[in-house]
Order: sequence, then C-alpha cells, then structure tokens
Amino acid sequence: MTVGTAIANPLGRCIGVAALAAAVVSAPMARAEDAAAWLNRAAAAARQHNYVGTIVYQHGGRVETSRLVHLNEGGAEFEKLVNLDGPAREVIRNQGEVRCYYPDAKVVRIEPRTFRNAFPSLSPQQQKSLTDHYEFRRAEPGRVAGLAAQAFVFEPRDGFRYGHKFWADAETGLLLKARILDENGDAVEQFAFIDLAVGGKIDREMVKPSWPTTPPEWLVRAAGPGDVELRDTGWVVRKLPAGFAKIVEGFRSLRGKRHPVAHLVFSDGLVAVSVFIENVGSAPHPTGLSQQGGTNVFVRQFDDFLVTALGEVPAVTVRQIASSVARR
Amino acid sequence: MGEDISRLMDGELDDEQLDVVWAQLKRPEGVATWAGYHVIGDTLRGTQRLSPGFSERFAARLAAEPTVLAPRAKPARSLSLAWSVAATVAAVAVVGWAAVGTLDPQANAMAKAREAAVARAAQIKPRSVPVDYLLAHQESSPTTQIQGVGPYLRPATATTFEARP
Repeated sequence: MTVGTAIANPLGRCIGVAALAAAVVSAPMARAEDAAAWLNRAAAAARQHNYVGTIVYQHGGRVETSRLVHLNEGGAEFEKLVNLDGPAREVIRNQGEVRCYYPDAKVVRIEPRTFRNAFPSLSPQQQKSLTDHYEFRRAEPGRVAGLAAQAFVFEPRDGFRYGHKFWADAETGLLLKARILDENGDAVEQFAFIDLAVGGKIDREMVKPSWPTTPPEWLVRAAGPGDVELRDTGWVVRKLPAGFAKIVEGFRSLRGKRHPVAHLVFSDGLVAVSVFIENVGSAPHPTGLSQQGGTNVFVRQFDDFLVTALGEVPAVTVRQIASSVARR
Repeated sequence: MGEDISRLMDGELDDEQLDVVWAQLKRPEGVATWAGYHVIGDTLRGTQRLSPGFSERFAARLAAEPTVLAPRAKPARSLSLAWSVAATVAAVAVVGWAAVGTLDPQANAMAKAREAAVARAAQIKPRSVPVDYLLAHQESSPTTQIQGVGPYLRPATATTFEARP
C-alpha cells in the first residue's frame, strides 16, 4: 500500500485506519505520522495547559526576556505577556481581544483579533509533504528550564526552508525551546523558557492587566487589523516552492491603509509565508530584502501594486514568491 | 508633524499622506524630527551609539569616497543590525548636510552630492515592514501556534514604535 492509495481511500482519512496503516506500511509514512502527531501535540498543549514561565527570545545578537502567564478556563484562553527588559510593554489577551499597554508612552492599543485557535490538523497529504521536504527525526533527550525534554529536528531537504530544532516537555508536549537554523547550522532565532511551571493553579488576577481601568491621561487606540475576510483575491503565486500550499486567502483592513490589503498565506506544514498585495499608485516605494529575527521580508513593486512576502524562511524563498506574484 | 514622520518610518503612509510628509522633510525642523526619531529608536533597540564627532568624520570620508551604487552582500545574520546602523548613518548624514548647507556655495555643492548619495542609500535600504503585517502573518503561521507564545513575542523589535501615539 502506498501513500497515494491511502489518500485516495476515504477510509484513509480516519485516524484509526491511518495509524494502523502507518504501523504496518512504509517507514516514510510512519515518520510523517510521527512528525504531524508531534506538531499537533505541541500546539494543543500550548492552548490547553495552564502555565507560567519566563521566555528568552534571541535574534540577530539581541536578547529579550518576557514573562508569560497562560490560563485555559473551560476552553476560554487568557494570556498575559510582560517584557522584562527594554521599554515596558504588557500584552493582555482576553479570548478574542488583545490589549497592548505601553506605560512609558501612556498608550494602550486595543485590537479585535480572531485567533485561529485550532492548529490545522494536517491532512495525510500535508503530512507526506512535511516529510518530503524535511528530514524529521527524534534527537537526544535533555533538560530545558529544569524539565525533562525530548528534542526533535526538522532538517530541510532543499534551500527553500530553514532547519528547525524543538525541545518538548516530555510530560505535556509543551514546547520548551525552539531554534531556527540557517544552511550553515547557525541559529537565526531562538526562544526558550528559562523557567516554567505547568499545571499549577492560575488565578484570573494573574492574567489581568496591571491597569484595571485605563488612566484618563492615556491615549487609547482602539483600531487595528480585524480578521481576514476570506475570498478570492484574483492573485496567484506562479513559482511557489515545492511543498508550500495555500492555507488562507482574503482581504484585510489594516491601519493607515485606505483600501483592504490582499493577504495570502502559504504553508509547508511547519512554517508559513504571507503575501500582502496593496494598491499604492505609481509613486515609487522602497523595495528589496530585509530581515527581522528569523523572518525574511521581500518587497517588490510593479504597476500600481506593492507586493510584500514575509515568513520564517530563507531570503531566496520570499524573493521567489514575491517575484512570481501575478494576476490570475 | 511628528506623528506623520513616525508613521512614515513605520511605512504606514499612503500616497497622498506621503507627499505631505516629503514636504515636511524638506524643512530643517522636519529633518531634525526624523533624525531624532531614529536616535530614539536606536536607543530603544540598544543599537550601538556613535562616537563623538562621528558625523564630521563621516561627512569628510563620504565626500572623499567614490559613490558605490551596488549594495555589498552581507552575511544574513547581521542584516538586521546593519540596516539599523545604515538608518542611523543616513539620518546623521542628513543632519550634517542640513548644518553644512548654510555655510558657503562650495559646501553646498558638496552637500548636494552627499544628499544624492544618501538618497541612493535610502533606495537600496528596504522599507521597514509595518507591524500590522508581521502580526497578521504570525496569526496565521503554524510556527506561532506550535510555540504557543502568541504572535506578540516574535516581532518584539518592531513593537517599540507601536507605542507612539
């Protein structure tokens, strides 16, 4: 039995059958199942568990430390993220709303946000695609933040993606450390918990903002991007690197833009590349490549449109995607 | 004026607004605001500060240099920092020009050449990516959901300017 017949067979969609098939057939299929199962477990753990921890985020020679509290109360998620160095900032996520407090500037931004709560369960085809383009393997056990951890590696099979190494909590599957590696094996970006308590009692008070009522002298900016309005944009990417498939297409209304911006998202099951297309008229805009942490950005202008491709992928990938955007 | 220039730096202005801000940037107080915001941004981001007298030394060396149009390939890891420094250099050079421009005609001509070099440097420097783009992307990215830390952790460097009113 090949992977192809497993996909063609409607029963193949059934998890039980797929799991059974994986157990008796080829090793590649088993690895695909393994990779997908592990990713889904990490994503589910991040939503379902209650935890408090300190995160260190490193990129481009910079280090930032934040305190994170996550509470799941009967399916409703609450989160508080406070940065511990640099200018003070506090992000409060209360189900569908996000508030960012900037006490130094006396500004609070309120943004309606629909979080895509369910990590998209990968279809058998996507699972296959994941292991077609990454070599997935279980690496060494170890310790992160004082917890027993299991390391997993996704090694890219081509130059269109970075390498990824993850350390998951052996008990809950929660991600404790994640590292993005370039083609030389150097870290492009890394985040890690340096302490973490999972499953403890978390009070609602712990996820409330430090300012229960916004002080009157603060500026409130209640705007920001809403959710994407899903529909056909009329845009296509002609040279999409192998393994990437479209997962989102629609329009977004963004701050400071007169017209909704077309937004397409392509994913290889592990990372994503976003393409934004906006009508900017004929005035020239700065274009080219830039980088923020593990995210590469490529901007290109043609006719009256500005195309921005960005994602946690090498520069060559965003460049190829942006350069091949065309009208259908 | 300050807010417009700040939004320009974030790449958030549309065409009509841009024309207004370009006009503001032609005035000395506009240039000072632009340079000031870059200094604030660099300080917030912890970008290395320049040594005293840098701007004079830079202006002198720039005047003596042939203009190189092609950007040199840089190692990817240092890109982000390099661009920050490039922005600072551009801002300092513009301030230097604004000061020199009032002196004498020869200096003025030199300054014009320098201004052109700065403008070319600005062309090859990519625009800053709007924070809204990064957040909208990260909302949809599997990476964010696997990590479970929310989209607000990763574009941390970009968010320093979110705070501006």
